[in-house]
Amino acid sequence: MAEQSIVFIVDDDASIRASLENLLASEGYATQAFDSPQAFLSADRPDLPGCLVLDVRLRGNSGLEFQRDLIRRGLRIPTVFVTGHGDVPMSVAAMKAGAIEFLLKPYRDQDLLDAVQKGVELDRHHRRQAAEVAELRARYAAMTPRERELMPLVASGMLNKQIAAKLQLSEVTVKAHRAQIMQKLEVYSLAELVRAADRLATEGQTGRSADAIA
Amino acid sequence: MAAALIAALVATIPFARVTITGSEVILPAYAAAVFVLEVITAALLFSLYSVQRGPALLVLASGYLTAALMIPGWILTFPGLFSSLGIEADVQATATIAALRRITFALFIFSYALAPFGASAGRSPGVTATWTVICIFAAAAAVMWLIARQQMSLPTFMRDARNVTALWSIVPAAAMAIYVTSMAILIRRRRAALDIWVCLVVFSLVIELTLLSYISSGVRLSVGWWGGRVYGLAAAGTVLLVLLADTTAVYARLARSVAAEQRARQNRLTAMEALSASIAHEINQPLASIITNADAGLRWLTRAEPRIDKVDASLRAIVSEGHRANKIVLGIRTMFMKGAQERALVDLPKVITDVTRSAAEEANLAGVSISVLLDPQTPAVIGNSVQLRQVIRNLVENAIDAMKTISDRQRELSIETRRLADGEVEITVRDTGTGLEPGMEERVFEPFFSSKPGGMGMGLMFCRAVVEAHGGRLWTSANVPRGAIFHVSLPAAEMNSRD
Repeated sequence: MAEQSIVFIVDDDASIRASLENLLASEGYATQAFDSPQAFLSADRPDLPGCLVLDVRLRGNSGLEFQRDLIRRGLRIPTVFVTGHGDVPMSVAAMKAGAIEFLLKPYRDQDLLDAVQKGVELDRHHRRQAAEVAELRARYAAMTPRERELMPLVASGMLNKQIAAKLQLSEVTVKAHRAQIMQKLEVYSLAELVRAADRLATEGQTGRSADAIA
Repeated sequence: MAAALIAALVATIPFARVTITGSEVILPAYAAAVFVLEVITAALLFSLYSVQRGPALLVLASGYLTAALMIPGWILTFPGLFSSLGIEADVQATATIAALRRITFALFIFSYALAPFGASAGRSPGVTATWTVICIFAAAAAVMWLIARQQMSLPTFMRDARNVTALWSIVPAAAMAIYVTSMAILIRRRRAALDIWVCLVVFSLVIELTLLSYISSGVRLSVGWWGGRVYGLAAAGTVLLVLLADTTAVYARLARSVAAEQRARQNRLTAMEALSASIAHEINQPLASIITNADAGLRWLTRAEPRIDKVDASLRAIVSEGHRANKIVLGIRTMFMKGAQERALVDLPKVITDVTRSAAEEANLAGVSISVLLDPQTPAVIGNSVQLRQVIRNLVENAIDAMKTISDRQRELSIETRRLADGEVEITVRDTGTGLEPGMEERVFEPFFSSKPGGMGMGLMFCRAVVEAHGGRLWTSANVPRGAIFHVSLPAAEMNSRD
């Protein structure tokens, strides 16, 4: 693996854990194995793009419950389910809750490795997006209240003249603010500005809805 | 009840001979009531016979049917009742039918008293009952036809439409003699609750006859005569009610037992399903591990720079997992295949000491002290010693595992046997381990429910299946202050041999 990543394994069977670590290690993955969801949650986990391989029928609480628990905690980690006795409703529930793959033990190694790779890629993508949004938010935070007021108007395609009339400002002032906004958001065209504004709005919404779930 | 009947009889005596003129009009209603009561009684008895197959029931049912079938003839020929319809029979006809009815019913009761009550083998009871009914109908029809055709040669029972001759007095006397004999036989044999009720009916019939024929001097439509009739009705009604109540109770019981049976079968089925799922799971785990390790080994081998040390480790893991799978298969075989059906006297104390001896080393390593307290009175049980040994070994291994993680108290495992009052033996396996969380007492017996990583044991589910197959129970309770107790109760051998 060119880039750093980690695969977490949660299974209550020690030999299954060992065999999975062996297989993933042979493909160059770093792994960390836990015998219970509690151990996984309380462990000091490296902050790397990763994926979780989870046994559905764990002692105490089931893997499906654990998956829901992770979502509640806002831990967005792609999950690959493995089970010795899966049925259709179980796999449907897992997939609906956002599982990458639902594999029956004993699984084909390529299926598992593909699913793990897909999970890691997905997490990497999520992380990149999250970083971009965070960056954008920081830039947005650096703007003055007046600039924040103007931004949606500019993004909606209004001309300087129209904005000036609406806010009862001179056209020159609007033009100056507009230049400031473009500079602070580090965008170089109106199209880019529209995209950034859009992104800030939607990410803000998903952030809020995630809070609502929690 | 007999006393009440006699009291009623005594109360009737002073008015017995007073004739109630014009009371003929009630007769058809009376006849219809008796007819319906007797036919329903017969039908119930026939259906009872088809279930219980006792010849005595068939005889009693036939008696009721025969008696019922004579009623239409009797009422149609009753002097002066249906003359407006153009039916005018000889006065002797009514009396002849009445005499026949009295004597045949009494004879049926007598046969009932003598007939075997238990089920008889042979033809299907439904066919027998049908043929009996057909024969009775044919016989009744033939008798009625004969009486209707040969009216002149009938015996002279009646002086006129109201009063009987001396000849009549033979009929009730004969019937009563047969009744009393039957009652004596029934009371002596007393085979079933029905016998008592039949006795009561016969007793009330004796009273009816006394009223009809002696106290009222056989005068028709007198108070005594009517009193007798009411007696007869009351008696027939009582038996019918008792039969109905009995039949309903039998059906209710049947429905309940069918439901219980279904539930039991359902439970057995779920247990079997769970058991097979559990076996599949137990074997699937090492298989999954073997396949994954083999895949990993191949990948280590075919890399650009092969890692022989990793291949070595993969192969070693495969070997050990193969052994694990084999152990599980062997365990299942000892549990369910080889000699699982063999039952013999099992010396529980010996089994327990064997198990504790073989577990001693493991207990030592885990820092667990084992104490065994065997009741010298412990009775032997009947069962499969291999299976029971497996159950106890499982419980002991579980107890040791449950104590491996504790450090704040002594790791103590104690096994006790106790003789219970109701002919059972109880074995308790007590540990001071982590114990069971509340609400988990039943869940531990479910398949896949394991509280130890990589649980090698066959599982508590297997234990419970085995114990229940021995007619016993397996349950858990909390140990004080910490830990768990597993209880096994098994029926003692003496109880089995006594049954």
